[in-house]
Amino acid sequence: MKLVAGVDIGNSSTETAVARIDGKHVKFLSSGITDTTGIKGTKQNIHGVFKSLKQALDKLGLDISDLDEVRVNEAAPVIGDVAMETITETIITESTMIGHNPNTPGGIGIGVGISCMIDRIQEVEEGSDVIVVIPSRISFEAAAKLINQYNKIVKITGAIVQRDDGVLINNRLEHKIPIVDEVGMIDKVPLGMLTAVEVAPVGGVVEVLSNPYGIATLFKLSAEDTKQVVPIARALIGNRSAVVIKTPEGDVKERRIPAGSIEIIGAKKKVIVGVDEGASKMMEAVNSVDVIEDIKGEPGTNAGGMLEKVRQVMSSLTNQHPKDIKIQDLLAVDTFNPQQVKGGIANEFSMESAVGIAAMVKADRLQMEMIAEELTDRLKIPVYVGGVEADMAIKGALTTPGTDIPLAIVDMGAGSTDASIINKEGEVKLVHLAGAGNMVTLLIQSELGLEDFNTAEEIKKYPLAKVESMFHIRHEDGTVQFFEQPLDPNVFAKVVLVKNGGELIPIEGFDSMDKIKMVRTNAKRKVFVTNAIRSLAKVSPTGNVRDIEYVVLVGGSALDFEVPTLVTDALSQYNIVAGRGNIRGCEGPRNAVATGLAMSCALTNQ
Amino acid sequence: MAIDERLLKSVIAEVLKEMNAASAAKAEEVFVSEGMTITEIGDAPKGTNPNEVVLGLAPAFGASQTTNIVGIPHADIVKEVMAGLEEEGVACRIVKVYRTSDVSFIAHDAAELSGSGIGIGIQSKGTTVIHQKDLPPLSNLELFPQCPLIDLETYRAIGKNAARYAKGESPNPVPVRNDQMARPKFQALSAVLHIKETEHADRDKAPKALKVEFK
Repeated sequence: MKLVAGVDIGNSSTETAVARIDGKHVKFLSSGITDTTGIKGTKQNIHGVFKSLKQALDKLGLDISDLDEVRVNEAAPVIGDVAMETITETIITESTMIGHNPNTPGGIGIGVGISCMIDRIQEVEEGSDVIVVIPSRISFEAAAKLINQYNKIVKITGAIVQRDDGVLINNRLEHKIPIVDEVGMIDKVPLGMLTAVEVAPVGGVVEVLSNPYGIATLFKLSAEDTKQVVPIARALIGNRSAVVIKTPEGDVKERRIPAGSIEIIGAKKKVIVGVDEGASKMMEAVNSVDVIEDIKGEPGTNAGGMLEKVRQVMSSLTNQHPKDIKIQDLLAVDTFNPQQVKGGIANEFSMESAVGIAAMVKADRLQMEMIAEELTDRLKIPVYVGGVEADMAIKGALTTPGTDIPLAIVDMGAGSTDASIINKEGEVKLVHLAGAGNMVTLLIQSELGLEDFNTAEEIKKYPLAKVESMFHIRHEDGTVQFFEQPLDPNVFAKVVLVKNGGELIPIEGFDSMDKIKMVRTNAKRKVFVTNAIRSLAKVSPTGNVRDIEYVVLVGGSALDFEVPTLVTDALSQYNIVAGRGNIRGCEGPRNAVATGLAMSCALTNQ
Repeated sequence: MAIDERLLKSVIAEVLKEMNAASAAKAEEVFVSEGMTITEIGDAPKGTNPNEVVLGLAPAFGASQTTNIVGIPHADIVKEVMAGLEEEGVACRIVKVYRTSDVSFIAHDAAELSGSGIGIGIQSKGTTVIHQKDLPPLSNLELFPQCPLIDLETYRAIGKNAARYAKGESPNPVPVRNDQMARPKFQALSAVLHIKETEHADRDKAPKALKVEFK
């Protein structure tokens, strides 16, 4: 009889399984889980191993000295990193305000006229159409008075206001005009130019200025000029209010930023693809190379810098020369990134296209032996590096009730997505792919324009709700939950995250619950569904996903409240039975490798 | 004694007459300050309009005190808060709360009278709270404790935010300035103003509806 422990040091958590071995019989007693200390495969991991072991043993009332043997995983020397590259930018040259969508514009309708400062109207020719420009030094009462007064001399058809006064001015006018407000840098509005202002009713969107022919009608444009205003019209789609100013050289351009290129080197061929061509082109290139030997970025570009960084980290971890570190997979995903519009006059933002990139590096070995030696010293019991991670994971996954060989597992972690398959003969094939939980967080962060990674991480982990009164919230699936006691005032009227204990965390910002939910789900789908299919295709004996029958999902991201359902749903279209693992019938998708390690003790002892 | 319909009606008429006489006896109080005339128009009713925010003024506001702690006229403060509400398309009802000079309770009383459940309370020295009727009185949605640092732009933003709460939106809290010197510099003055305000508080007086006219 022996008391053994299997310890799995992962990218984000260190898991332990403690078992009693009696000949061939293995009886699991307890398990432990803590955060991994330091980067996987370094000496700093030892603290986490101690904590995790202690946690498992405390449950049994035992001490570390009671153990007969400890096995740590032969960690797959894989590290992933993520980066973001914006590939378009919008530049305006004083012809319009695109992306400017004040919450409360005033009035309604469309007005065309010559732009003119409100206190300079007397200089305008009598009877002409005028769009007045109202800077912040003029109060809404004074502005309304001036407009009412001058309307008898000239025809004021619209207004552009610096302060948030649109509704206030409109409420005091005798003749209603469309008013666009909150134009920060109003002194940049060109004066004496033909200008159009449009405001749609509440809940509506501008219809004339978002139509190239609408602009052409207002400004009497030629067919050639109409072509020029297409980007302007396009940028105004979906806004409630808009301003377009006709200036001799005004223009809006969407420019593609040269983002550098990457070079994918295979055994037989080399493919070069530009990052600015977008994710689908990049993935096409990655998939066209059968066995990737290395991926290099163009020196001096962001793409190059990011790939070099991953190489550096890995080389310092393994004491290998950066030249010997090879990047073996890359996942690119199309995304959006809110960027300030260059040349804008109201601090406008525009959603620019971007590409998110995850890279994966594989080295010969990590320093697990070193960790094992150090642990042996400290624990005074033998510590071995046991079995390849993939073998152990499969062994652990097979303890899920209802599974049998042949079986494939998809291990969805934080840094990488791994797939392995065991056939009837017991042979194991395995693949590591770039892109997992951290990539999802990056996509959420960029598309919602969040400042810090942690908020995005929380949005990824927890479902949403909207606080509708002090006593009830509406969950993202539409159900309502009531409370006896009033909720915390911090969460009033906010979109909140519902943590496991029922704790509500408010999210600052103006994004609606539906938008956040959509961004979150899409990010998970883009990364995990893509990678599950990609990885299974690589380990499938025929190269076809359909030839795999059973798939068990394990790893930290399989604990997510929606990732397993998204993947199960996608794989069911390939006639695959897929679901979240339940290691030993009680651990859920966690602890697969640790369980496998503990079991391996029994086998080798025979 | 048999009570027939006619007798009942006459009794009711009698009672109503007495009640009207009692309320008429209370003379309409009028407070004139620089730029603003406040007229009390009877007890403030509980609102039913979900598109309103009630602005609760402290006992001395616009009456025995007419500017805030740094001399901003009360008329301008009310005007800016109202402008903030109007810009968001939300109606404003103004009441005077007599029973206390505590800004949290003033704001909470205003919130309870408000059809939307959102109220704003302003003390004469300028301290302001945005409140919601279901919260405990000493809690709040937004509190602006350093009255010397609140400028007119902030009062406008307070009105805007209260309106957005009333509409069920979730605005970002109004940014406020912070100054460690505000407390030592103004503490004595603030205490005096608060004591003066408390002198006008009347525990037994119900909140009054106000008509506010600007000059």
